[in-house]
Amino acid sequence: MERTVSAALRVTGLRKTFQRPAVDGLDLKVGQGEFYALLGPNGAGKTTTLRMVAGLMQPDAGQVSIFGVDALADPVAAKRITAWVSDEPMIYDKLSPTEYLAFVAGLWGMDPAVAEKKSAALLEWLELKPHAHERCEDFSKGMRQKVALAGALVHEPKLIILDEPLTGLDARAARLVKDALLARVRQGCTVILTTHILEVAERMAERIGVISRGKLIAEGTLEELRKQSGSSNTSLEDVFLTLVAEQEPAQ
Amino acid sequence: MTAAAATAATTAIFTAPGSWLWLARHEGRLAWRDLRYLMTGGGRWRGRNVIIVFILLALGLHLIAFGVVGRHAHMTLDVGTRGFTSITGSFLLIFFLLLSQALEQVTRLFYGRGDLDLFRSSPASLRRIFVIRVLSIAVSTTMMALVIALPAINVLALFGGPHWFTGLGIAVAAAATTTGIALAMASILFDTLGPKRTRFASQVASAIVGSAFIIGIQAVAILSIGTLSPNTLFGSDLVLARMPEADGALWIPARALLGSVPDLAITVVAAALILTVPMVLLSGRLGGYAIATASVHHGGNRRAWSTRLFRTTSSRQLLQRKEWVLLFRDPWLASQTLMQLLYLIPAALLLWRFYGDSRGALIVLAPVLTMAAGQLAGGLAWLAVSGEDAPDLIATAPVSPTQNLVAKVEAVLIAVLAIFAPFLIGIFSHSWTMALIVATGILVSAFSSTLIQIWFRSQARRRYFRRRQTSSRIATFAEAFSSVAWAFAAAVAANESWFWIAPAIVAVLVLAGAYNIRPRATS
Repeated sequence: MERTVSAALRVTGLRKTFQRPAVDGLDLKVGQGEFYALLGPNGAGKTTTLRMVAGLMQPDAGQVSIFGVDALADPVAAKRITAWVSDEPMIYDKLSPTEYLAFVAGLWGMDPAVAEKKSAALLEWLELKPHAHERCEDFSKGMRQKVALAGALVHEPKLIILDEPLTGLDARAARLVKDALLARVRQGCTVILTTHILEVAERMAERIGVISRGKLIAEGTLEELRKQSGSSNTSLEDVFLTLVAEQEPAQ
Repeated sequence: MTAAAATAATTAIFTAPGSWLWLARHEGRLAWRDLRYLMTGGGRWRGRNVIIVFILLALGLHLIAFGVVGRHAHMTLDVGTRGFTSITGSFLLIFFLLLSQALEQVTRLFYGRGDLDLFRSSPASLRRIFVIRVLSIAVSTTMMALVIALPAINVLALFGGPHWFTGLGIAVAAAATTTGIALAMASILFDTLGPKRTRFASQVASAIVGSAFIIGIQAVAILSIGTLSPNTLFGSDLVLARMPEADGALWIPARALLGSVPDLAITVVAAALILTVPMVLLSGRLGGYAIATASVHHGGNRRAWSTRLFRTTSSRQLLQRKEWVLLFRDPWLASQTLMQLLYLIPAALLLWRFYGDSRGALIVLAPVLTMAAGQLAGGLAWLAVSGEDAPDLIATAPVSPTQNLVAKVEAVLIAVLAIFAPFLIGIFSHSWTMALIVATGILVSAFSSTLIQIWFRSQARRRYFRRRQTSSRIATFAEAFSSVAWAFAAAVAANESWFWIAPAIVAVLVLAGAYNIRPRATS
């Protein structure tokens, strides 16, 4: 049965060309409160798509609407309700996690009292409290990623976009990040992430989109993807490989 | 063993993987690629263009050398104390510059190169690697010495005779000596301050060593004979009365430079010893220093930037505060940017010395401060605009790009004004018109450099600050030319002449040119 949720993200005819088309007329719709995973082989256009959605890159053509806000016409309004986390956590080495969160909260214009309370809760939840006042320069990749995630969550975004957020994290840190994201989805937040860890998409995502050569080649629940690939009772890995192989040019 | 087998075994000692020659070849290849990057700015290698630029540069340097030393070509060994003082003084200026560079390079040995982990985890001798790296520093310092000295030596030899070529030996000896001293200094810093503080301390020491001699000479010249010129000081009775006789040991390098072969031999042997002794004595410890730097932990709780971190602030103030906090929390970066202010010490002394005196003596301050403001703003603007460590965060924040840019420009200009405020107050209490001219010069020059950095922005990590000049040489030259033109305009304006408009137009043309050739955004 067709889901009747309102769109948190609607992408229409999105196009971006570098030496060759990276994103080629992509259409995408993600419902409110949905956990959506975007999969694809290396160079398929996942990151370029998400960077355009987050306002980090200007598309050549197409439209991006976030909760009804035209993100290209009014980027500031769209950014107010969006958060972006990349695979390489970009935080300030010379700031402590608390200072970083205060800075992010200030940028998003949060009420200081609310921001302070939320920051403390997030640092506690992400097990960063003992390091709350240390500078981030000595933090491990996992700790830095947790600081970046806390920065993304502190301003209560309605849409969280994550590009390979689990890369380089140990099992415990990865579990914390996954729990944090699932909790947000339960609270009504929409999450879109790209990942190469198919098990994450399989377990966490309600819907999965497969992108290849800048085009969405399949989309749906795992069950629907199995049907599309013509294989039942197989893992997402098999489904993914079958779908992508169909798009490869004949050798 | 046959002769062929013996030859093969000998060859293997030098060419086998991990051998001296093999490692030297590896270092040579890396050095050549660094040099190539420096020449091409990371772009495509165009041999013809590089050769043309090289020839033009060589011609320019020879012309400058002719202007500076051409009239001294007929100097001989009988120049006496006055001549030796002048030669030795000039030599020391270059010597301290080389020492500053060598100290920076030696310190970078232990902090900079990403391949140290590879060497540390390999069975290759770490001692051997460091000896080769120290030698490669000596080679690169020699190259730098030759870039400075060769045009002068060529000009002197052309007009005065081939005996001036002994200067080549002096250049090599100076490079070897400075490398040896730098190695000893870095080792002392490591042993006394530890790996955590050595990088910063060495940075400060390098800046002070590089500028101390010229600043010291200028300071003495200002305070004793009321001029900024070192040459006037070297020829003054004040200095000459304190110098040894013409046959004194202090003049050995000067005599070698004038063609005395025995003095050249003494200088070269002494330089070889100064390089070799610390290298042999310390090479075993250098690997330990590198391991110590890799184990440095900056952690621990630190004081926050404010007792009330969470408070209502405009995004503009927030972004400005962030820029200042990041700069002041990074002593290495702060020293990189602020150390050039050391060169303002003579200006400050001049202000103090002639305070209450005629307006004429203060005219020299207008160009000095204008130039310094342009250069300082260029560095700060690079950090704020290109050296943004969280570009994605700023780009996805609900702050318009214009707001963001305005906040960063303001952060730079406010910092520059704060640094120059004491000078402006000093000048203001003497002459308000002069203060107005200097303040305008400072602001316009700083704003121009900031604009250039905005037009040529290229996202990079802050720790690559030192590479900013190679990543865009056009921006570097535009920044320098605009600062010089504004400084010239300020000097003419301070002289109460309307001709300041001419250099100001040149500065505007430089800006217009930079704007026209700025890289266009691709996304």
